[in-house]
Amino acid sequence: MRLFWKICAISIQRQLAYRAAAMAGLLTNLFFGLLRAAVLVALYGSRTVVTGISIEGAITYTGITQGIIGFLSLFSWYELMSTVYSGAIASDLVKPLNYYRFWMAQDFGRALAQLILRGLPIMVIYAVAFNITTPTSITQGLVILASMLLAWNISFSWRFLLNLSSFWVPNAMGILRFGFVLSWFLSGFLMPIRYFPDWLQKICYLTPFPHLINTIVEIYLGVISGTELLRIIMLQVGWALGLMVLSNLVLRAGIRRLVISGG
Amino acid sequence: MLHLYLRLISAQIRSQMQYRSGFLLEAAASAVISAMVFVTFAFVIERFGNIAGWSLGEVGFLYGLIEFSFGLMDMIFSGFDPQNFGRQVRLGRLDQVLLRPINVTLQIFGSEFILRRIGRIVQGLVILFVAEGMIDIQWTALKVSFIPVIVICQILFFGGLFVIGATITFWTFESIEVMNIFTYGGAEMMSYPMSIYPGWMRKFFTYILPAIFINYYPALFILDKPDPLGMP
Repeated sequence: MRLFWKICAISIQRQLAYRAAAMAGLLTNLFFGLLRAAVLVALYGSRTVVTGISIEGAITYTGITQGIIGFLSLFSWYELMSTVYSGAIASDLVKPLNYYRFWMAQDFGRALAQLILRGLPIMVIYAVAFNITTPTSITQGLVILASMLLAWNISFSWRFLLNLSSFWVPNAMGILRFGFVLSWFLSGFLMPIRYFPDWLQKICYLTPFPHLINTIVEIYLGVISGTELLRIIMLQVGWALGLMVLSNLVLRAGIRRLVISGG
Repeated sequence: MLHLYLRLISAQIRSQMQYRSGFLLEAAASAVISAMVFVTFAFVIERFGNIAGWSLGEVGFLYGLIEFSFGLMDMIFSGFDPQNFGRQVRLGRLDQVLLRPINVTLQIFGSEFILRRIGRIVQGLVILFVAEGMIDIQWTALKVSFIPVIVICQILFFGGLFVIGATITFWTFESIEVMNIFTYGGAEMMSYPMSIYPGWMRKFFTYILPAIFINYYPALFILDKPDPLGMP
């Protein structure tokens, strides 16, 4: 466990080294957040509440989704793939730490740094600029944090699995790109899932993706509570565990296939 | 000049067509990926009816046109893509280009031609045609001949931004992600009617970066919509 935190801390340091890039990323996320807020405000028109989400809630939604991009590395994550193609993976595999946990530690550090560098500033700026929704109780705040942790876990396993495809195919870039876009569409990143037609909502909830973003949004906006909240958190836990097990199974099958030449 | 450019481009195309199935897959993926944003919007607008008085078909017209031009631009100006160009500068590869006794701009235009962008171009066209079928446009000869003008203007607009973004990397150490706000952000912004944005944003994209004149106003003209902003 100490090794896990050590790797995690180094990963945070590495992220903090690229402050200019983080700043640029923050500005871009903010700009897109404003665009998307304007689109939602225009869609609402004179309505104040649509499918349980208020107009303030919709604006808050754009802040949360833009703020979470860095935390969940929603657009890309090819690091593992490139170590497979360069052969650098060999030295990672001989490390005295489970390979899944090794990447998990690095990704946790990356996620934390991104949350501080991008997520928090965006929410603060949103809170100053707009009349946004905020959590009403400490319990709700804690549930949001727990849900974010689970979301990160699901996101990490999904990205890990996508990258593992490089064990089998000579150029996994297309698979990865497609996998990322699938997660935008089904996670409620492009639009809150509640706005979708019912049949599409059902399809979304057959996949783990709503638990990346939509669940956090709904808990944050307070549109779900009580037993419904409990059910959704249990689903999140289920997907997190399931994908973790799957990642390790696929990893084991992949390593048996892997051939590293040279030395 | 033109002859040389065509030679360079055809070499690029031939090399990218070597892996035909890989190319087709990538182009198809790129089409699906770029269509996702609009498809999501189409699902959602059902619940709302319209956006600032614009129907799905009308927004589709704006969106399809921009996607088509942006895709074309992204293909023609591949060499100037700031991310790619910045890397060339950092690696010192631009020095070779500068040493050759041929126009530098021409060489950069010919240095890269990303054919898989065809996916995004086709996607834009498909959405444009679907949108055209959903709305009732009163086509006149003037309107039809105006379409290519709009497309060329949009290509030059985004291409210009690419060139600016590329040349800025002479001074910066990293490619600047902020340029994405104007290129990708601008394209996304122009996919919706400009009247929905807050005043300061609209003013910026009218007076400083005049994006409003190459998509929103032409679309108002072709769709015969009144201008809520009251431009003289």
